[in-house]
Amino acid sequence: MQQSNNYIIIFTVVLTIVLGGLLSAASVFLKPKQKKSIELDTKKQILTAVVDLEGLSGNEILEKYDAEIQSVVVNIDGDIVEEDEQGAPIVAEKVDIAKNYKKAPEERLFPVFKFHEAGNTESVKSYILPVYGTGLWGPIWGYIALETDMNTIKGVVFAHETETPGLGARITEREVQDRFQGKNIFDEEGKLVSVAMLKGENNPNPLLGAHYVDGMSGATITADGLNKMLKDYFGYYEAYIKKVSGDTEKVAAL
Amino acid sequence: MSTDTIEKQQVEEVKEKKKSETLLSKRRKKFINDPLNDDNPITVQVLGICSALAVTTQMKPTLTMAISVIFVMVFSNLSISLLRNLIPTRVRIIVQLAVIATLVSLVSEVLKAYSYDMYKELSVFVGLIITNCIVMGRLEAFALGNKPWDSVLDGFGNALGYSWIILAVAFFRELLGAGKFFGVPVFEAIGIANFPTNGLMVTPVGAFIILGLIIWVQRTKTGYVEH
Amino acid sequence: MELFNLTIKSIFIENMIFAYFLGMCSFLAVSKKVSTALGLGLAVVFVLTITVPTNWFLQEYILKEGALAWISADFAEVDLSFLQFIMFIAVIAAMVQLVEMVIEKFAPALYGSLGIFLPLIAVNCAILGSSLFMAQREYALSESVFFGFGSGTGFLLAIVALAAIREKLKYSNVPDGLKGLGITMLLTGLMGIAFMSFMGIKI
Repeated sequence: MQQSNNYIIIFTVVLTIVLGGLLSAASVFLKPKQKKSIELDTKKQILTAVVDLEGLSGNEILEKYDAEIQSVVVNIDGDIVEEDEQGAPIVAEKVDIAKNYKKAPEERLFPVFKFHEAGNTESVKSYILPVYGTGLWGPIWGYIALETDMNTIKGVVFAHETETPGLGARITEREVQDRFQGKNIFDEEGKLVSVAMLKGENNPNPLLGAHYVDGMSGATITADGLNKMLKDYFGYYEAYIKKVSGDTEKVAAL
Repeated sequence: MSTDTIEKQQVEEVKEKKKSETLLSKRRKKFINDPLNDDNPITVQVLGICSALAVTTQMKPTLTMAISVIFVMVFSNLSISLLRNLIPTRVRIIVQLAVIATLVSLVSEVLKAYSYDMYKELSVFVGLIITNCIVMGRLEAFALGNKPWDSVLDGFGNALGYSWIILAVAFFRELLGAGKFFGVPVFEAIGIANFPTNGLMVTPVGAFIILGLIIWVQRTKTGYVEH
Repeated sequence: MELFNLTIKSIFIENMIFAYFLGMCSFLAVSKKVSTALGLGLAVVFVLTITVPTNWFLQEYILKEGALAWISADFAEVDLSFLQFIMFIAVIAAMVQLVEMVIEKFAPALYGSLGIFLPLIAVNCAILGSSLFMAQREYALSESVFFGFGSGTGFLLAIVALAAIREKLKYSNVPDGLKGLGITMLLTGLMGIAFMSFMGIKI
């Protein structure tokens, strides 16, 4: 059957309105839930760097986050930034690490999440730093929790977008992440050396020491990306780290 | 149009059987059974291999993908079939694409809201259901010329045929590549501690090879030979 | 240099076929003869190089959260990303149509060889996939041009290579059940292994 042009135009317009309306309605209806899912996802990752969240429901995680995490944003010099150029307040949770990654390091914003005892923002137990880089196929990112000496790693959590399952994607496994615990990022002279993953798996213990962790077999490029990511970001945060550890030394001296 | 003649035949057919036809008559059961084996969309019709294989490294995302495809196919077949006498033939392709894209967007939005982890894992591959040739193919070949309920069954049958193939591929890839089933380490559970996992299985190559073997087995069984 | 690397990466390392399985339908269906495979491949390169940057403009100025801010500050909060799929596919379908008409008018000879493939391309997953990857990875405009071109070239390379092998395969004695699709899948797997060797290249 062959219809007139008018019919075709009317049909397409009606169809567009119906489908567009349907989609908009769905989007408006689901938006709050989506926002919450994304928020939960970020906060869950941050908290996983320091505590085990096994068995907690979404709402419990959000409550725990509100009670025990306080965040600040710093720049490359380690100074706290509170407002952007337009004078709008900056919230650490809203800082998009991936977007910042595209800027020059001097212009980036670096959020810091302080994990403290519930209700008492003074007694910080750990500092959580977000990191971002590239693996084999695409971006990898994560959160590194440092002890209050700003040297020992308390825990890490990594995530990836498209690393090979079973190989590079193993960076998301608890067992791999636990290998980082207790490692130091500064050497005895206080020079930044970061922590790196070795090539290959089951390296003999003496090789590991304070700055190296066992690698993942078959995922050398992902591990290289991971090492670069850690080294870069510890470098970016170095000024802030020095400031905080300077402060704690002063407190300890008193 | 060829669809018109099909429709006429179908109308006559339906007229004959109208009085006694139940909701799941023999003729209708064929819509579901055929695509599962003899007329499988992937292994026989060679359609829709595009988007799905990339997610078959594990069972869980594959299952999500299968459910999404079933949803999209059933509802797109239904809507196109309901509209079949209204759709102007000249713009039918874009109308079909618009309907499919809307349904896929819905799936993606729902996933984002209720299963964000899955949404991240499937990433762009949910969107690629739009260009899954099975969906378009069934709309063009069936829904445009058939009654709504028949089209729903046809969509469901074809989506099932598609689902079982990708689930089978995922089963072998996850089992041999990671030694797991739905994320559970099965080999450790039955006492084989050091199961040598095959890294090739988790790469795209594994998918091609497994699919090739599945096709071989299935075609040997059905006796279908391609020339 | 960055752009050159991106092009190489999207041709060899992140090949549309061997790494992402995109465009498999036409890859399998139109790879029986080298000449037709070449025609389809060229059409894909052409359409990808045009649609990815076009969709980039859409994504950047209409779809992204806060993208409408260029109209007025009032729209800065609007997020139309839920329309992404439908807009992208509409642009692709429209562009394919447009390209078809333009080629028919100005280069009839080219239309003769490419023409029949163009309608096929609207539903080629590689086209939509590239646009979605572009949006997800937040490429800049120049990057999206080279990414589109590179992905298309990767597809061209893969389909021509497969067609060349299948032409020779006609003279081989393949088991009945494996004939056609089965052996092609296995072949694609083997070619995938070959392409995996590009993975180690540091770019």
